[in-house]
Amino acid sequence: MSAVDQAVADGVLPGRVWLYSNYHCNLTCSYCLTESGPGVQRRELSPARMVEVAEQAADLGFTDLGLTGGEPFLLPTMPETLARLGAVLPTVALTNGTLFTGRRLAAAEVLAGARVALQISLDSAEPDDNDRARGPENFAKVVAAVPALVERGITVRIATTQSEDEPADMARLCALHRDLGVPDSDHVVRPIIARGRAEAAGLGVEVRPEDLPAELTVTADGAFWSPFGPTVRGGRLDTDLLLTRTTDPLQVPAQTLLGLIEGRPPGADSTLNIR
Amino acid sequence: MSRVQLLDASSAPLTARRHYAAGDPGPLVAALATVPELLEVALPFLSTVLGASALDVRTKEIVIVRTSALLRCGYCVDGHSVVALDAGLTLAEVGALRGEGPIEWDVEGEDDLVAWIDAVAGGRGPVDSDLAARLAGCFAEHEIVELTLLIGATMMLNRFCTALELPTAQVVADRLASVGLR
Ligand SMILES: C[S@@+](CC[C@H](N)C(=O)[O-])C[C@H]1O[C@@H](n2cnc3c(N)ncnc32)[C@H](O)[C@@H]1O
Ligand code: SF4
Repeated sequence: MSAVDQAVADGVLPGRVWLYSNYHCNLTCSYCLTESGPGVQRRELSPARMVEVAEQAADLGFTDLGLTGGEPFLLPTMPETLARLGAVLPTVALTNGTLFTGRRLAAAEVLAGARVALQISLDSAEPDDNDRARGPENFAKVVAAVPALVERGITVRIATTQSEDEPADMARLCALHRDLGVPDSDHVVRPIIARGRAEAAGLGVEVRPEDLPAELTVTADGAFWSPFGPTVRGGRLDTDLLLTRTTDPLQVPAQTLLGLIEGRPPGADSTLNIR
Repeated sequence: MSRVQLLDASSAPLTARRHYAAGDPGPLVAALATVPELLEVALPFLSTVLGASALDVRTKEIVIVRTSALLRCGYCVDGHSVVALDAGLTLAEVGALRGEGPIEWDVEGEDDLVAWIDAVAGGRGPVDSDLAARLAGCFAEHEIVELTLLIGATMMLNRFCTALELPTAQVVADRLASVGLR
């Protein structure tokens, strides 16, 4: 057993490895930490590369995968790629949920019964409040997509990104996601973090590395500490949470991450509940 | 302006942060920090080869300034002219190493050392056997190994700093101007 295997088995190193499939997006949310939008640099990982990282993660003893972006479902082969990733390790894929209509909804059917959950962003049960940050029609598209996916046997979770200043009415939001077929155990709530567009707009909480989950995160530009690490500011990728540019073999950044965790003073765990 | 981004303390990767603890670590570290795993190995290597070692500092600075002058690396020539002056080389010696005038080397073996540097850093292919024999008369074998690696490591740095246009620090420029070396 390598030091990385042992650390994952002992819970010293978190079990999930994240992949940034791409950075472009059909939306331009006001707080987006990756400054994603239609015209941005795509920074894509190819489907083959994503599967390769997943296989190496499994070999190293990691237990789960996460996939995020940008909007992953702008990549036409994403449903098949996710099905392949789910065959390697259980996977959660973050999505804005606005693209699941027509052909794309039908294509997602390969995920029924797969070890893949789609985690869809929804910030408020009040359409105007939700759409203020996430764009016009966002609420309507999400509340249409969730039951359509659930009906097709696809596991759906809901992620709420909360503004400190204007917290959502959580009772109404939870009633809504239950109605849409998503149980409480599949609802994630996190604060807005002051990175990317949020930082530029003066939104969100300031974070230190120890506030962020030490989950190994692989992008086209290198490996990072946490999926909240490879953020973008002014079109430039942030490097403060960069681990290594080398991502193959995955052992290289995993070992660097482990070294940093082991060098951390005891009791440095965060209470900000960022996930 | 450098050709690559020089990372400041706020954008320094986690493993590079300790190099910023005492303030601005200079453009070489700030450029290498963009690839933190390279910085991790390059810095200990460079500080072992260029830093305090069994070779005396005067010899080392002769090697570094001369090599850098041959490779026309303004960044390294300027930075190490200051270090050489601090190490006790005279203005005339530093000027001669920079190619700004001839000099008679007083210390025994230093003329052969400079000829060796010129042959290794300035030449191509094999190095002359007579010169190698003369150098062996003045330096122990382990010293020849070390100073020859120092020439090579300096050449590597020279090309890196020149190609990426790393900027000379203002304090260095001011110091050189004050002694008429700029
Ligand atoms: C960057 S998005 C990528 C996946 C997909 N486009 C989406 O919106 O779900 C992943 C998650 O990060 C959240 N997010 C975006 N900017 C954030 C910030 N500044 N702080 C905390 N979470 C943020 C989004 O709301 C979303 O739930
Ligand atoms: S939060 Fe998600 S949906 Fe919104 S702009 Fe960023 S990547 Fe796109």
